[in-house]
Amino acid sequence: MTRSTQPLSLTINGRRVGPVAVPDDLMLIEFLQEYMNLTGTRYGCGLGVCHACIIIHDRDDGTSEKLPACITGALSLNGQCIRTIEGHATRDAAGNVTALSHVQQAFLDHFSFQCSYCTPGLVNGVTVLIERLQRHPVPRDQVEQVVLDSLDDHICRCTGYVRYYEAVKQLILQSPGLTTGGDA
Amino acid sequence: MNRHGMTRREFLRAAAALGVTATVAPLARLLAASSAADARLVASPHWLDQAGNIRFRQDGISKITGSKVFAFDIRARDMPGWPQQQAYAFMIRTTRCDRVYEGVDLSMLDDGLKPDRLVVAADLKRDGVAMPEPDFYGQLLLAEGTVPTMLGQPAALLVYHDYPRFRAAKARLHFDPAVIRWGSEGAPVERAPYGVSRFVRIGGATPYDDDVFSPMIHEGPDTDEAVAAHAKTIADLLAAPPPGQRVFERQFASQSVDPAALEPDNGTAWYDRATRTLHLVAATQAPYVVATQAMTMAKASRLGIDAFRFYPTSTVGYGQKEHSSFPYYVTMAALYGDGRPVRLALDRWEHFQSAIKRHAFWFDTQIAVDTHTGKFTALKSQMAADGGGTANFSAAVGQVAATAIQSIYYFPLNDLSVTVHASRAVTAGSMRGFGTLQSMTSMEMMVDEIAQVLGIDAIELRRRNVLHTGMKNTQGAVPAGSMRAHELLDNAAAHPLWRERDRRKKVYEAKRPGYFYGVGFACVQKDYGTGAEAAIAQIQFDAKGGIRLRHVVTEIGTGATTSQIQVVTDMLGRPAQTVEFAVVDWPELKLVSNENPYGNTQAEEDRFSKNPHWVPTLTSPASASNSAFYMSHATREAARVLFDYGIWPAAMAIWGNGSGGGQAAPLSIRREDARWVDGMLVAPSLEPLSFERIAMVAHQRGLVTGATVHTFNRWAWASARFPMGSGTYEAPIDALAVRYGGAADESTHGYTFVPRVSVDYPPTQRNKAGVVYYAPHASLVELAVNPGTGEVDLLSHHHVMDCGRMIVPAFVSGQHQGGIAMGIGHALYEELPRYEEGPGNGQWNFNRYRLPRASDVAVWRQTAQYLPPLSPSDPPKGIAEVVMIPVVAAIANGVAHATGKRFYELPLSPERIKAALA
Repeated sequence: MTRSTQPLSLTINGRRVGPVAVPDDLMLIEFLQEYMNLTGTRYGCGLGVCHACIIIHDRDDGTSEKLPACITGALSLNGQCIRTIEGHATRDAAGNVTALSHVQQAFLDHFSFQCSYCTPGLVNGVTVLIERLQRHPVPRDQVEQVVLDSLDDHICRCTGYVRYYEAVKQLILQSPGLTTGGDA
Repeated sequence: MNRHGMTRREFLRAAAALGVTATVAPLARLLAASSAADARLVASPHWLDQAGNIRFRQDGISKITGSKVFAFDIRARDMPGWPQQQAYAFMIRTTRCDRVYEGVDLSMLDDGLKPDRLVVAADLKRDGVAMPEPDFYGQLLLAEGTVPTMLGQPAALLVYHDYPRFRAAKARLHFDPAVIRWGSEGAPVERAPYGVSRFVRIGGATPYDDDVFSPMIHEGPDTDEAVAAHAKTIADLLAAPPPGQRVFERQFASQSVDPAALEPDNGTAWYDRATRTLHLVAATQAPYVVATQAMTMAKASRLGIDAFRFYPTSTVGYGQKEHSSFPYYVTMAALYGDGRPVRLALDRWEHFQSAIKRHAFWFDTQIAVDTHTGKFTALKSQMAADGGGTANFSAAVGQVAATAIQSIYYFPLNDLSVTVHASRAVTAGSMRGFGTLQSMTSMEMMVDEIAQVLGIDAIELRRRNVLHTGMKNTQGAVPAGSMRAHELLDNAAAHPLWRERDRRKKVYEAKRPGYFYGVGFACVQKDYGTGAEAAIAQIQFDAKGGIRLRHVVTEIGTGATTSQIQVVTDMLGRPAQTVEFAVVDWPELKLVSNENPYGNTQAEEDRFSKNPHWVPTLTSPASASNSAFYMSHATREAARVLFDYGIWPAAMAIWGNGSGGGQAAPLSIRREDARWVDGMLVAPSLEPLSFERIAMVAHQRGLVTGATVHTFNRWAWASARFPMGSGTYEAPIDALAVRYGGAADESTHGYTFVPRVSVDYPPTQRNKAGVVYYAPHASLVELAVNPGTGEVDLLSHHHVMDCGRMIVPAFVSGQHQGGIAMGIGHALYEELPRYEEGPGNGQWNFNRYRLPRASDVAVWRQTAQYLPPLSPSDPPKGIAEVVMIPVVAAIANGVAHATGKRFYELPLSPERIKAALA
C-alpha cells in the first residue's frame, strides 16, 4: 500500500530546503530529525507539553511565535520560515562557531543548563521573548513576572530553573530598549 | 552485580577473554574527529579565561548550540564508516499479568506495514540471544505460553528498514490492546523478595563508648542469634517503656515516581555482517557495564562477533540510566537489523512504561523518647518496598534506606529491618536518593510531630538529638570528620521564617482569608559514595607549562568533567588546558582486580594486595554523588605527586641557583610555605615564579612531569608507600606511575610504574559501616494551602548546606536548585500507580504526570546559604542527592503547620489535602 505524501518546502535558519515528499501526518520534529538530520530540536513528550522541542516560526508580518515541533504538522508550515537551535550562533564558512547569540551566551555565562536536553527549546523561547520585548518593552519591575509567564511551559528536570531565569532577567535588564521605567 | 559496576579495564579484559577486539570511543571525540566544525572547539581551551579561570562548562558550546551530544541525536549517517541508511525498531509490550500470553497479532497492519523483521522469544532462543544477568535485568522477551511477570514486559520487536513505514506501523499499533493475543487466566509466578536486611545496634554507655553490639563489630555464624537477642531487648523496651519514656509509632508511605530524564531510553547499533563487528551507541550512566555485557551477549549469540565498538555519550538519568536493561534491547535489535544500523528510541509513553522507577516504600516506625530531656532512646523501623518486575538494585536500595533512616539523630538503640518485594509493577531501581529520600523524609515528618506532641520547638528537639562529631551511626561506624548538622539547625532557628512563623501566619491569613499559612522545616544528612569507590587520574605538564588532564570521570550533566579541570588548580595553581575524559585504557598502571570489593575476605585481600598491580576495583561509574569527593581525590593526588617531585624541587633549584645558594640560602624555606598567587608560586620572600619557568626547569632536570594515580575508598582511603628518589612517598593512593622530564617522548605516555612497597586497604569489615561520609542539608519553606482546591502554593524557601569546599560554586547551586525542584515534585505532584492503572499500561505521559515548573518552585523567591569550609583543605562533599531530600519533609511539616493536620502518605496531592480538611 502506498502511503500518501505531499511535497514540503521550508526555509530553515535562512536556508531553503525542499521540496521533499513527506507523509501527510509527519510532525515537524520528525522532519527536522529524520529528514534534515537537525537533531538539536529535542523530543521530550510528543504532546506539546514539555516544550523541549520548541522552534521559532517567523511569520510574514515580521513577528515570531514559538511552536512545539512535536505536535506541529510539517506540512502546515509549507513555504514558511522557521529557526531552530542550529541557526542561532554565527558560524564561519567552515561551519565553526564564531559567536553565540546573546541568549546562548547568557545561558553559557550563567551555567544555566546541566544535561542541556531542554536548552534548545529554552533558547528559542527566550529569543522570541526578547524579540517581542524589542517591539513592546515592559516596565522593569514586571520583568520577573514576564519571564515567568513566558517560560513557565518549559520543563527542565535538572536545574530547578533558577539559573535559566536569572540569566534571562539579567539579559533583559541589560539590553537597551527592552524595558521601561525604574528599577526592577 | 554490585553498585559500583563494571570497570573499563575489566571490559577490555573480558574482550580479550572472548577473543573480541574491543574499543571504546566517547562519541564527542569521534564526532569531533570527523567534523571540522567541532574539532576547533574541542582543541581550544576556550572555557578558560586569560587568567586560567573557568568561564563556562567545558561541554558548554556543544550543548548550547544543539550539537549532537546525546545518543538520542545520533543517526547512522553521523557515524564514520557506518551505512547511510538505517532501520528503525519498536517493541510491543504486555499490559496485563492475569492471562497467558499467546503471541502478537499484527493482522491490523496492512501488507505494506508488516515489519521487515519480527523478533519474538522463540527467535531469541533459536539464535542464542539472551539478556545478560537475567536475575538482575529480567528476560529479553516474554515467551509464548507464559504469564507476564510484570506490566510493560517486552514481547516482540518490530524492525523496519525505512522511517515512513516504521512510524505508520507504530502509530497504528500504539495503544491498541488487540496487538497481544491472550489465552486462559493465570497469575505471575510468586517470587522471593529481592532483598532482606536488618541492622541492630546496642550502643555503649555513651555515644562515644564502644558498642555492646553493632554490625561494625560483630560478624560470624552466631550473629543471627545475637541479632535476634538484641532486637528482643529493644522490642521489650518499646513494648513497656520505662517511666519517663514515651513511645511514638507512626506509619508512612512514599510513592513510586519516574525520574523523568528528558532524554528517553535509546540507542543505535549496527551489526556489520561483513566484519562481524557490533557497533553500539547507547545512553547510559554506566558505559563499561553496558559495553561488557553487550559484547558478551553478542558474542554468545549464533551470529557471534569478532570485534566490538562502543561509543558512550553525554546523557542524563538521575540513576534511571545507571543499570538499565535497555541497551541490551538495542544490542538485540542490531542483531536483527539484516546488516543495517537499527535505532531503538523510546517515546515518552514507552519510557514511562519501561524505564526504572523510584521504589515505593512503607515504614512502620517506633521512637522512644525521654519526655523530660527530649532525648531519643530507641528506634525501631520495619520497612517494605516494591521493587517491581526485575531485581535491579532493589536489595541495595533497601539497605541504604535502612541505614539512612536515622537522619541527623543519634539513637542509643536501633533495630532497622527492610524487605524489598518483587511485584508486577514496572521495575524500580537506582534513582537519586537511593532509598534515603523515602526513609529520611518519614523520619523528619515523625520528629516534627513528636516535637509538637511534646510541646518542644521542632528545631530544639532536633538539637537535643543531633548526631555530633564522634558519635556512631546505626551501623556502629563513626562518620568522617566534623559533623555540622547542628550548625544548620542553629542557622535555621535564627532565620526570620522560623522565628516569625506564628506572626507571619496571622498576618498572611488575615490578608488572605480562607487560606492557611505554614512554615515547615527539615534537616537530613545523606551519604555519598558506595563503599567501593575507585578512580584513575593522570596529570602531566610539558616544558612550556601546558597542563594535560586525563580522567575516568564521565559527564551526566552535573559538570563533573569541568570540575576536575578546576581541581588541578589546588596544587598546580592553574587549571588543565587539555583534557580527556572517560579514558578507557591505562597501560601506565597495568592494574588487575578480581572486582569483588564487597565480597573479598580479609585473608583474600591481604593475599591479593601483595601484587602491586592489584586493586580491589578499578573505576566507578557516574553515580552515588561520587564525583566531587572521590573523583576529585584522584585528581588532587596526581597533582600532589607532580608538585612534590616536579614543581617544588624545580622551584628550589631556581631559587637556589647562584653563588652561595642564591636567594634561598639566607632564608628558612619549608615546602608547606609554598602558595600559588595569581598563577605564580610564592614562598616567604622568594622571587615569585611562573608555572612556565618552573616547568622548563623540571623538564631540563629530569624531574617528575607526569603522574598517574589510582585511588580506592572503602569508607576510608587506601594508602600506600612508594619508593621515590632517595626516600619513600606515602599517600592515600594505591597505585602510581610517573613520567620524568627529558626522558619522556610526548607522543607516547612515557610512564614508569612505581611498585608500592606496602599498602593499607581499609579492613573488609568496614563494608559493614554502610556509610561514613555525610553531607547535611536543611530546608525551611513557607507555603499557603487553599483548602477549597487542596493546592499548596510554595511562597518561598531557604536552605542551608554543608558541602565542604566548593569546586565550581555555580555547579553546586545548580545541583542544589535542581534537587530542590525534584523534591518539590515528590512532595506535591509526582505519583505513579504501581499496577494496572500505572505506567506499565503504556498510557502515561507528561500530560498526566506533573513535573514541577518554574511557577511551582518559587523560582524568584528561594535562597541558599553554604557553611564556610572548615579549612582550605576541607574536601568537597557529594551533594547531588541530598539536595532534593529535606524540602520534601519541610513541605509536609509546613502543610501540617498550615492546616493542623498531619499527613503520612506522599505526595500531598490536592485530593489528599482536601480529604483531610473535609
